Formats: sequence, structure tokens, C-alpha cells
Amino acid sequence: MLKRTKKDENNTSFSVGNTVEEKPAPSTPRPAVRQERYTSDKNTTIGAGITIEGSIRGEENLVIEGTMKGNIEMGKHNFSIGPKGRLDGEIQAQDVSINGQFKGTIKALGKVAVTKEADFNGEIKAKSFSVEDGAYFKGVVELDREPHKKSTVTETPGAPSSPETARQPVLPSSDFKMEK
Amino acid sequence: MISSTTRHRNNSEAEPFPVGYKSTILKEFVDSLEGLKDARTLDLGPVCQENITFFALRMGRHYVCDMFLRSKQEKRKGLHPGGGWKPLDYPDRHFDGIQLWDLCDHLEDDDVNRLVEQSYSMLKATGLLMLIAFEKKPASSIVNTFVIGQDYQMDIRPQPHLELPWKFRHNRALTSLLSNFTIVRSFRYHSGIREFLFKKPGGFRD
Repeated sequence: MLKRTKKDENNTSFSVGNTVEEKPAPSTPRPAVRQERYTSDKNTTIGAGITIEGSIRGEENLVIEGTMKGNIEMGKHNFSIGPKGRLDGEIQAQDVSINGQFKGTIKALGKVAVTKEADFNGEIKAKSFSVEDGAYFKGVVELDREPHKKSTVTETPGAPSSPETARQPVLPSSDFKMEK
Repeated sequence: MISSTTRHRNNSEAEPFPVGYKSTILKEFVDSLEGLKDARTLDLGPVCQENITFFALRMGRHYVCDMFLRSKQEKRKGLHPGGGWKPLDYPDRHFDGIQLWDLCDHLEDDDVNRLVEQSYSMLKATGLLMLIAFEKKPASSIVNTFVIGQDYQMDIRPQPHLELPWKFRHNRALTSLLSNFTIVRSFRYHSGIREFLFKKPGGFRD
């Protein structure tokens, strides 16, 4: 059974009303961005006691606190696995947050975040990525790459650019030239 | 099997960690691999967001398998040594580059031999292996991450969740352990950090 946790509409209206009252120009229309934000605040949570085998496709944010084996397709919405959640499968979503156990592949339009509570084993294709120190992580990461930028590091052999870079070879064989 | 771990008398006193340095070996490692088509690199940990992003933006596919964390778990559970190597189940000749960081500093000889053997198998011909070793005993047994900054400036970030004993190995012992590889370059910094770049022999990339 799916448990929907949706931001209380009354509270949202009240909050907006308060904001309007405080401003001298109450007739200013609410920015479209705010409406979009409200829409994306809708969350569906699969509770800790739920086990699912199969695929889920949706148009709102999804949180898994329970156990699932199958694929997730959330389009431009966000997906996350809670600290006690577990998923084996493929995820396609906007932003993805892994706080529990995951095994599979993630294709995110935006960011993938892995917290230190996570146990991650899989592949990530995303625009950006973050992982907390201490996460149990075995994975492959592919990020959207900018057009190839050659390294900006310039170095003259034998002439360190700062005192910290001063170095000395420790082995006679260290003068080998790299084959490229 | 090579026995190389020694307690270095002159290096048994704890030293404060160096603040940072500019890594020549890392630059050489990256420059060599960056131009390859679909380069695959493997980082054996600890997990570090900055480093993963750095490599994922430069290489085709960047793999991460935190062997520090697994070594610690293995010790804590009292598992048979070597059992922690199961996660390193990558195919032979799969990677163009492997970063060991200072992992060897925290392993017994048997495990280092196993690690080197597996690294050799996992690397393609002409693949590169990067290794760091401390020359002096760190102030604490807490493992540090070498965080890649701008222009290959390395900073060190402690990982309080990772405490592993430190083993000293002479340069000769390290190069003996990696005798199947060709040593490309090595440096010793004033801070006592030693960096090595090894290459798997072979005429052409697999």
C-alpha cells in the first residue's frame, strides 16, 4: 500500500497569504516558480513494512522506506531511498538520494547524492554527484562531461613552482620517461 | 612471497600530517590517461566526493571500491585475511589506471601481495598504478583521504570512521613488492610523503 504524504494545502495557502499580507503590493501575482515548487513537493512514500516486486512509474516524488525489487521511472521528479529502505533495480529520475541499500543502475537528469548511511553497489550516470565520507560505496560513476578541457597545470621540469613542490627523486629509476 | 614490513626505528615517532602539497605523480597519471578513449580508472578508497568528481569528469568511466572500509570491517569481524578482497571482482585487463593511495601502508604483507597481484591482473597492458606511502608514522591511526584540489594541490582529510594500523616499508621493499611493474617515476616530498607511478609492461594498450 502506498502512503501519500502531501504538503497540507491549507498550510500552503496560509503561508502564501501571510507573505502577501506583509507586502505592500498584495496584487503581485505569485511567481510561477513557486507554483512549480508546490507541485514538486508532493511525495509518495513506500513505508518500511512494504515489499514490492515490479516497476513503478510516476509523476511525483517518491521515497522508499521499504524493500523493492524492480525499476523506478520518475521522469523529472525526484527519488530517494530512506535509511532503512532497500532497492534492487534501475532508477530513472531527476535527482536521486541514496540513504539506504541500493544495488543497480541510476540514470539521473540532475544530481545523485549518496549519504554515509548508504550501502551502494552499482552504476551512476548523472549531471553531478556527491557522496559523504564513510559511505559503503562500490560503483562506477559517469558524469556529463564538458567539452574536453586540457589541464591548466603548467610545470617546468626541474623548476618547482613553489617551495611546497620541491622534491627529490628517491630512486635512480625515477628518471624514466613516460611513454604516451 | 616477499616479506617487507618492518618497523622503522627512525620513523616510529608520530609526526603531524603535512598540510598539503602539489602532486606531480597525480598530474602525470591524469595527463597520461586523460587522452585515452574511454579510459577506465579504479580508486580503491577511501570514498571521497572531490576525487570521484575529478576523475569522473576526466575519464570515461571511474570505478570506486573502498578497500579501506572493507579492511576495517574485516578486522572488526575477525574474518580470515583475504576475505575482504572479494569485492575486487573486476575482470582482467579492465582498467587503464588504478589509484592505491596509501592503502599499502595499512596492510600486512600477505594482503599487499594479494592487492598487487590483483591490481596487475586488472590493469591493461601499459596501464598505470599510482601509490602513496608515508615515510614517517602518522600522528594517529586514523586513515586520511588525499583530497584533490585545484592544480593537483593535495589536502588531507581525516576519516574518523577508519582506523587502521600503519606499516612502514622502505622504498626498496615497495618496489620489490611491485617488481612485476616498471617504475615510471617516484618522488619524495619534504613532508615525508612518497609517491610512485608504476606501469604494467606491454607494447600496446589491451
